[in-house]
Amino acid sequence: MTSLRAAPGVTIATALGAPRSQLLLVLGDDDLVTGHRASYWTGVAPAIEMDLAFATIAQDGINHADLWYQLIVGSELSGNDPQVRAAVDAIGLGRDPGDYRHAILCERPPGDIAFSIARHIVVDHVLATRLDALTGSSDRDIAGLAGKIAWEQRYHLRHAVRYLGLLAGAEPAQRSRFTRALERVVAEAFGLFESFAGEAEVVADGTLPVAHAELRDAWLERMQTVLAPHGLDGVLDVDEVPSDALGGRLGNHSPDFTDELWPEMTTLYRSDPAAEW
Amino acid sequence: MTTQAALVDRVRTAIEAVPDPELPPVTIGMLGMVHDLEVDDDGRVRVALLPTFAGCPATDMIRIDVEAAVAAIPEVSDVRVQFHYTPVWTPARISEEGHRRLADFGIAPPLDPGREDDAGPPAGAVSLPIVSVVEATSGRTCPWCESTATTRDSAFGPTPCRDLWMCTECRQPFEGFKSA
Repeated sequence: MTSLRAAPGVTIATALGAPRSQLLLVLGDDDLVTGHRASYWTGVAPAIEMDLAFATIAQDGINHADLWYQLIVGSELSGNDPQVRAAVDAIGLGRDPGDYRHAILCERPPGDIAFSIARHIVVDHVLATRLDALTGSSDRDIAGLAGKIAWEQRYHLRHAVRYLGLLAGAEPAQRSRFTRALERVVAEAFGLFESFAGEAEVVADGTLPVAHAELRDAWLERMQTVLAPHGLDGVLDVDEVPSDALGGRLGNHSPDFTDELWPEMTTLYRSDPAAEW
Repeated sequence: MTTQAALVDRVRTAIEAVPDPELPPVTIGMLGMVHDLEVDDDGRVRVALLPTFAGCPATDMIRIDVEAAVAAIPEVSDVRVQFHYTPVWTPARISEEGHRRLADFGIAPPLDPGREDDAGPPAGAVSLPIVSVVEATSGRTCPWCESTATTRDSAFGPTPCRDLWMCTECRQPFEGFKSA
């Protein structure tokens, strides 16, 4: 049973445990947590272009999460209704850490630029692969929103691939540092393709047209094409997925989330869930 | 024209005249954001808008401004604004006047027909291309000197809907309205 901290009087009509809601939490939580981690570079990135990029990627992630959560609350996107607004905020920021469904990789600290850029490249290609599939969803709202977000995602991919070229073509010491980051990120990225509770149901009714396990193959093909020109496709040969990168889809998160990101991300909301903004 | 049809026209005019909060010379009518409008016999108005960007934080302000503009019409008893993602907004919805005002404001309009980058999303399912070309292959028209000898400096700009360009002709930087 999922419990929510919400303003008095706010009720959430749809059970968060329903398969469609679980799918939307997976989509929203990956975006929300990726957005929060991207925001770290605002003002401190080593290049202005990267600063602007991560600031925008952060804003996109958090706003896209908001839209996925809106689809849990109502079939029409109507985030302006005060009750809907309060319910969406409660979903985004009022859950206990164990009720979040994002992958562990998304919650890892920003680390250095090599790690952040490696994660940016890998995660944005996962999201792009999944958005492509979702444009064929049997759920009209999900398909429409996926198409809209997919088109905007081109800008994220473009930025990711630009820095892939720069870091892959850097001096040997930087290149090997970047390669090591990419190896770790790719291995942990397998956690993004774990199935969530209710996935079989939403795959069966076409809400999620392609299961996460199959999306992984499509993503690997994409990554092969992107990495091969830089001689980095070897990082895709993963012998063993680290066990501590798994479990996010079921709410088993690392201390990076439970002890660090979650408290910071939700502190303002928890201090007064009924506050009006 | 019936009274009802006249009222619908007035409501539409009021909505379309609402300025974009981040691009004041351009109205949401010029941007092609108004998708659907219903006015019933009791003066209840339902407006469906298409956001230019899904992650646009200005949508709330636009909604408030549209509600205020419509509510100012005496015959209107109630107004409800919703944002829709189908059909998908595309740059092709921007009017000629919108293009002109964007350029006058110093922002290159998004649609240069025929350029791959500006074609806008296709109808129906989207398949993202695998990005192999890093830099933009074609330049926007510089809003200052109208040269097309321009390069993209950054895929991200001051708002989610704008990117940054440089004109190699007049050596001026400028912003572009993204084609998403």
